[in-house]
Amino acid sequence: MALFKLEKKAPKGPAGRWDVIVTEDMCKACGFCLGVCPVDVFAWRKVPNRLGWFPMYVAHEGNCIGCMLCYQVCPDFCIDVSPKAAAAAGVN
Amino acid sequence: MLATDLGVKETLVAPWMDWAARYTQGRRLLEAGTYALTEGAIAAGCRVFAGYPITPATDIAEYMSKRLPQVGGYYVQCEDELAGMHACAGASLGGLKAMTATSGPGYTLMHDAYGWAITNEIPLVVVDAMRVGPISGITGAPGQGEFYIARYASHGGNFETIVLSPASVQEAFWLTVDAFNLAERFRTPVTILTDQVISDMWEDLFIPDDYGALDFVVPRKHNLAMPFYPVGSDALDVPPNVVGHGTGVCVSAYTHTEEGYDIEEMEAQWAQTYRLVNKIRHHRDQLARYETLGLEDADVIAVAYGANARTVKTGVLETRRRGVRAGFVRLITLWPFLDELFERDCRYLVCELNYDGQLVREVTRAAPDKRKVHFMGKSAELHTVAEVVAGLSGIAAAGRIPELPYIWTEVR
Amino acid sequence: MNRLAKKYLRPSQIPTKACHGCGIGMIENWLLQALDELDLKQEDVIFGTGIGCVGRQTFATWGGDNFGATHGRALAVATGLKLAQPDKKYLIVVGDGDAASIGTSHLIHAARRNLGVTVICEDNMGYESTGGQFSPTTPAGYVTNSSPYGMVEPGFDPCDVVMAAGATFVAETTATQWHQTVKVVRKALQNDGFSFVHVRFPCNENFGAYALGTRDTVKNLEWIYEHTQGRKTDGSETDFAWETGVKRDASNSRPEFSRLLRDMNARVRADMAAKAQAKAS
Repeated sequence: MALFKLEKKAPKGPAGRWDVIVTEDMCKACGFCLGVCPVDVFAWRKVPNRLGWFPMYVAHEGNCIGCMLCYQVCPDFCIDVSPKAAAAAGVN
Repeated sequence: MLATDLGVKETLVAPWMDWAARYTQGRRLLEAGTYALTEGAIAAGCRVFAGYPITPATDIAEYMSKRLPQVGGYYVQCEDELAGMHACAGASLGGLKAMTATSGPGYTLMHDAYGWAITNEIPLVVVDAMRVGPISGITGAPGQGEFYIARYASHGGNFETIVLSPASVQEAFWLTVDAFNLAERFRTPVTILTDQVISDMWEDLFIPDDYGALDFVVPRKHNLAMPFYPVGSDALDVPPNVVGHGTGVCVSAYTHTEEGYDIEEMEAQWAQTYRLVNKIRHHRDQLARYETLGLEDADVIAVAYGANARTVKTGVLETRRRGVRAGFVRLITLWPFLDELFERDCRYLVCELNYDGQLVREVTRAAPDKRKVHFMGKSAELHTVAEVVAGLSGIAAAGRIPELPYIWTEVR
Repeated sequence: MNRLAKKYLRPSQIPTKACHGCGIGMIENWLLQALDELDLKQEDVIFGTGIGCVGRQTFATWGGDNFGATHGRALAVATGLKLAQPDKKYLIVVGDGDAASIGTSHLIHAARRNLGVTVICEDNMGYESTGGQFSPTTPAGYVTNSSPYGMVEPGFDPCDVVMAAGATFVAETTATQWHQTVKVVRKALQNDGFSFVHVRFPCNENFGAYALGTRDTVKNLEWIYEHTQGRKTDGSETDFAWETGVKRDASNSRPEFSRLLRDMNARVRADMAAKAQAKAS
């Protein structure tokens, strides 16, 4: 079984309840978050950041199921994933 | 005979003249130089010794292993001198005064750590009890082969160093306290260059009773705010940085900013070097320690430091008694080199315990006429009074040192 | 930005100077999680690093007190520092060059003394900062910048070295075992003694380029994953596999080094007081 998933699945479970932030100015475009994510959240920017890389950005935040794999794998401290305030308060 | 009998002026410039005059309550012992160096460190507040045993500094390690637990300090016998010096630097970073002691073979292993302490402005004292070389040489014989190494105690340039050398057991005690004080005030490692004779010989030693009541000891203070490294400034008495008080200080091997993290800009290199060099160079007046004799009318001045200065001084006095106007300079501060002691335009006889000639090169550079600087090198034994008399008399009479067995006079 | 980076790191120094796709930042992320889970504050922890990729890219990222020693000597500095500041947690983050090559002597003696630090040996299997020469942890036969005909020297595992020296906590993980690494570092930090955590991670620029034939970050992390599992994506066996997990957990089973010295001091001073008492009476 591979680490990186080329095929993204449709989101199940707690999708749409997560805030996903990528600090694009810190991204070095390694591609790990996009690769490890099981659903379709990330995409590449077409414009470089101030470090000179074409960073990742959050294209479809609503698909995030909160698996936190991207948070674990990012080598540049760019990503934060946290429950949306409403979800945390128990409102679905 | 005494200098006073001969009517020559004798001066000793050192801060401990005042200390010895004011602190007269204590014990008189017959002890070795290593004992004096140890007690001087304890009196100055040293609480960590990390090193590796090596002749002739082994006794310092042994005394420290006994004394430090008695005063709440720590003795660490490290796996090598490299680790020892680094551990001392670490302990000093954590807020404890630290010292290590070694000889030539260990001193050369400390150069990496020495540079780390210099660049991060960490106060430390390093005793190098020199012996004849190269390398292990003769284990039980004195040498003075680390004169330049102590100045250039690490690689990369862009720094100054402070190096002191005692010539008696009593002086070793006071000078060690002075070394710790300078380390604190200048935020730098200080080398005490001693030799096998001073380390191992037994002499009269006075030790003041109450170490807690010594008002001349500079206590350890902590720098708790930015700038951690006042680059671009030559200020003294900046408290040492401390790790473990949550200040966020960075300590590293690289050229660094005021905060301490690495930076690769020319401006930063300039500012850092400005501080490391000028904090010492601009305060040379506070670092001058020396002894002189008869400089007011000398035709030939003998120059020496450390153990062999003892016999050289006697030789100078004997030569005076025989009618030659001989003078004497004993360097206590070796670095920064005291150029101002060599302004007199006369002949100089540099007596060193090495054959390759090291101190003589500095004297030649500082003296007004390089053709009038002579070298009398000897290895593994101190110069005898007779040799010194013969050298001084020969120079005064004919401008050259007579042929003497095992005395080296050539410098290229 | 990663919330723990905000909590613990020095903003001017992140993202690190590491190359893109390097494992150093990933591992640091997991270290922060371990610290956070143990409720440690920035002032409770001191980072010590060395020279080389791991040392350089980790140095100064920590927002609290930290030092970057000369090559291989972080543990020697820590030996002295621990005496002066015994109550802090020490994370000594060093590479395979620092720990398993130039600094092995200090590693052995710190383990022997049971110095109370946690060594995170981040191993990219070569001297990558200087361009990719082999190191004592480079796998056998691999081509590197200084083994163009394949690595002929036998290598070793620093875990074996520290275990032989008496380390009280030894564990090994890789850069694709994030949860395991966080757990293992948590355990390591709770050992009042010498803890050694060995984490293998990918280098794309040098090891990847010369030994693995590609700088593709995804392919190189996949290579780490395969050698962690022992199986390639197509199901075949890899040429070797790393044995990961906790190798020894003897946490808190023997006294920590600075405690030994403090206890000795207490004994000596009690003795002195008793003698003075006896003399007085």
